[in-house]
Amino acid sequence: MKRKAMSRTERKALADTLVFTLPAVVMVILAMYIPFVMSGYYSLTEWNGISRNPVFIGLENFKTIFSSGSPEFIRALIFTFKYSALFILFSNVLALALAVALTQRFRLANFLRGVFFVPYIMSMTIVGFIWKFIFTQGFEKLYEITGWGFWNYSWLGDGGLAFYSLVLVGVWQSLGFYIVLYIAGLQAIPTDILEAASIDGASAGKRFFSVVLPMLGPSITTCIFMSLTNSLKVFDIILALTKGGPGGATYSATLDIYREAFQNNNYGLGSAKAIVFFVIVLVLTQVVLRFFESREVEQ
Amino acid sequence: MNTRTRKKLGHIAFVCVITLLAALYIYPIYLMVINSMKPFKEVLTNVLGLPTKLALENYAYVIEKMDYFRLFLNNVVITIIGIAGIVVFSSMAAYVLDRRQTKCTRLIHTLIITPMLIPFQTIMITLLKFMNTIHLNGTTWGLGIQYWGFGIPMATFIYFNFMKSIPREIDESAMIDSATTFQTYGMIIFPLLKTVTATVVVLDVMWIWNDFLLPLLMVNSSPSSKTLVLAAYNFVGSLNTKWHYALAAMVLAVLPSVVVFILLQRYIVEGVVAGAVKG
Amino acid sequence: MKKLFSLMLAAAMLLMLAAAPAMADGAEINMFISSPEYADAVNELIAAYKEVAPDVTINYETTQNDYPTLLKTRINAGMTPDIFSTTSGKEIGDYIEYSYNFAAEPAAAAMDPAVTNMMKYGDGEVHGFALKGNYFGVVYNKAIFEEVGIEFPKTLNEFEKACEAIAAAGYQPVTTGFAEWWVFKHVAQHFMSAACEDPAAMIAAFQAGEAHIKDYPVLYDNFFRFIDLAVKYGDSKPLETDLAGEDSALGVGKAAMMLGQGAWVEADLLAIDDTLQIGFAGYPVTDDPAQSQVIGGSDQALRINKDSANLQAVLDFVNWWYTSEYGQSWFCDVAGVIPPVSGAKVADMQIIKQGAEHVAAEGSGALAICYSSDSFNQAMGEAIQAYIGGSLTKDECCAQIEAKWVELDGSGV
Repeated sequence: MKRKAMSRTERKALADTLVFTLPAVVMVILAMYIPFVMSGYYSLTEWNGISRNPVFIGLENFKTIFSSGSPEFIRALIFTFKYSALFILFSNVLALALAVALTQRFRLANFLRGVFFVPYIMSMTIVGFIWKFIFTQGFEKLYEITGWGFWNYSWLGDGGLAFYSLVLVGVWQSLGFYIVLYIAGLQAIPTDILEAASIDGASAGKRFFSVVLPMLGPSITTCIFMSLTNSLKVFDIILALTKGGPGGATYSATLDIYREAFQNNNYGLGSAKAIVFFVIVLVLTQVVLRFFESREVEQ
Repeated sequence: MNTRTRKKLGHIAFVCVITLLAALYIYPIYLMVINSMKPFKEVLTNVLGLPTKLALENYAYVIEKMDYFRLFLNNVVITIIGIAGIVVFSSMAAYVLDRRQTKCTRLIHTLIITPMLIPFQTIMITLLKFMNTIHLNGTTWGLGIQYWGFGIPMATFIYFNFMKSIPREIDESAMIDSATTFQTYGMIIFPLLKTVTATVVVLDVMWIWNDFLLPLLMVNSSPSSKTLVLAAYNFVGSLNTKWHYALAAMVLAVLPSVVVFILLQRYIVEGVVAGAVKG
Repeated sequence: MKKLFSLMLAAAMLLMLAAAPAMADGAEINMFISSPEYADAVNELIAAYKEVAPDVTINYETTQNDYPTLLKTRINAGMTPDIFSTTSGKEIGDYIEYSYNFAAEPAAAAMDPAVTNMMKYGDGEVHGFALKGNYFGVVYNKAIFEEVGIEFPKTLNEFEKACEAIAAAGYQPVTTGFAEWWVFKHVAQHFMSAACEDPAAMIAAFQAGEAHIKDYPVLYDNFFRFIDLAVKYGDSKPLETDLAGEDSALGVGKAAMMLGQGAWVEADLLAIDDTLQIGFAGYPVTDDPAQSQVIGGSDQALRINKDSANLQAVLDFVNWWYTSEYGQSWFCDVAGVIPPVSGAKVADMQIIKQGAEHVAAEGSGALAICYSSDSFNQAMGEAIQAYIGGSLTKDECCAQIEAKWVELDGSGV
């Protein structure tokens, strides 16, 4: 098929598109794509991350991953998916609920928004230090007061429980981020729509589910997507609280990649794992994104 | 009881519950603050209790050791450069990406937001190598520019999703008045994005101001480029950590960004309230 | 867009201009090492050297979080520091391409042989020096032992009896720090050191996949018995207690013995209670009291970049540090650490003094942690944690440790 020559307006539109997006594209390529591709090269080598001369070995590292089954990597992947599922669920439900509460008009609202946001900016080492004391001394005290057995469980020392502790602290730490996003979404809803609904006599609950929630589509997509990518990449919080322990029970995929590349000095194999993981995440997020976008209300 | 008092009581109950929840939520931070005012001994032996005597000398010591005010300026430079680029470039990109839905823009959209999926740890080695080649490491402004690349994916994603809520008729009418795309964006669209911009600024200030790993890679080597969080980490040792100093230093490092947050929050709310009155 | 590029270009040129004049006069030494807890002391050392060599500038940078990762990143970006740190022993070889053999320098001659041992590579080459020496052993509260009326145990049976007696007196016998993976390597090395005549050869055999833990009763029976006892008489949540928890338990006089630590905890313990009577001794590892030894040496190595632009200046600095009067007394007077040089003054600290006495009287055990890499040591710690947590049986734990030895430290890597 012969292509029609572009009209002037079309050419201008294309030029606009390029000019408006070029700075963003260039910066992203410089900061992320080039280092990622450079790092990707090492997945084809055997390299300890130190020596001057990586040895090119073709697809050998990928064969290792798929043929040996690499049980540690699989375990870390399963851990990551479980963590992500719970993290996405709790952080979105709680953040939305709190965002709705914090957009009500009352005197403390402004201050309380700050309160819920503060944990998000705390350094992970400090978060880890403080929470370790809460899990040990704090829970011990609560056990003395209440006598309820579960306070006395070893919340960081038992592999199964440590998982839930990580979800708890993870959600606690980043909830403020999602609250801010939901608040922005809630405030973008025109007030006349809400007023119209209340004139209709819709009760608060009904109004929320039938009017507010559908209007929040873009915010929900944003938050689900962000919580998905952030939880799949979970790293800092584990390093600060359990360092993958006890007994290696809490390694996430990124922590496993980090361990392979930097601790075990297998940078090549680590890079290969990183690429496999990247592909998995890419597919997963695309599916989720499509699903939520297709359900958004066109406005 | 009539409905009005019932409503009022309900409101009071609601405020009580949410305040209680917030108190519980902030408890770990409260622990951090009170422990930063204790001597080392009490940090290790009595985390939960109040300090027997306020050890404000922790703060005096830390301010001097960190060279606080100098590093504060470094943080300001890095954060402002970073935020300015992220906000301008992301909102520009998001604007055309939303308004011109073609194959080309969809491709560019994917190209811009996909890097959110790359775990930072996997590109660390090559990132420094590359930034060293293009001379963006080792300085505050260089680090600020690097944040453009790391911040644009998320900011574009957020702008893009909120751009949908701005009716197209607005820019179409501007076009009829023969405004250029750039004028339309700058004079009409960008001002309408105030709430989202404030959101992006809040999220990114918090991130850049308090980031650890990227500054560690890029600007740790000299006191003229170091950031507050990096300096605070120097109280964390291999086997001996001076927790009382580390906590005080962390409180001081974080504090300015909390203030920024509170100021911007008010701005977001005011913007919305003003809009509501006008409507 | 054009503007952006020209801005960036201009900025890059400015940077290059700014970087240029720094090289004008005198040598520059970039020193990037871990352990920020010694930052004040190192800064004093640098200030003192400034008086000796005024035109040499030392750029000192330190961090603990992610240090090894950051070092690798720097090396790959072509920014290898002139002085950097790694662990000693096994890891000396990993960075060999970048490190200078200074066996012929006065600094190497001044070094304590126990420290030099761990810095060696190949045939008499010396590839590292230390910021400090170290002692590893059990730290204990003398007052509790006196009150209970027992001596510090030197055999496993005595250890069990001591624990019973201490528990009966209402104290917690041991605090373990089992939440930290490195506590296990510090404990296990005492058993490895006692397991056979030549621990280095034994560990080499493990790494080659030719040895089994079952064949070494000191490891298979005694070590696991010790761990079991430590868990039984230790913290209520063993896998949750970290170094800070240990410090607290021993410092407030709740626990009698502290495992997996050494000379470095003294200052923190005294900060909690400055009247604490600290005892220090070897681990009870077998039925033979003579095998209960303290271990001395250095598990950290400072390395000299062999391609340094100012190699001679770096060597001069290190030689001065290790041989000058100020440099030698710096370890004790300023840093308060165990001097890694022979014949230097020893600090008046309880653990250091007792450690030195033990080593003088009974000899030192082998610093076996350094025969393996920290990659392995961490994997070993995790396997033992899994054993304590009950997700691995003893035999599974041993099998996993053996496999990790081969996988991580075997000839392949």
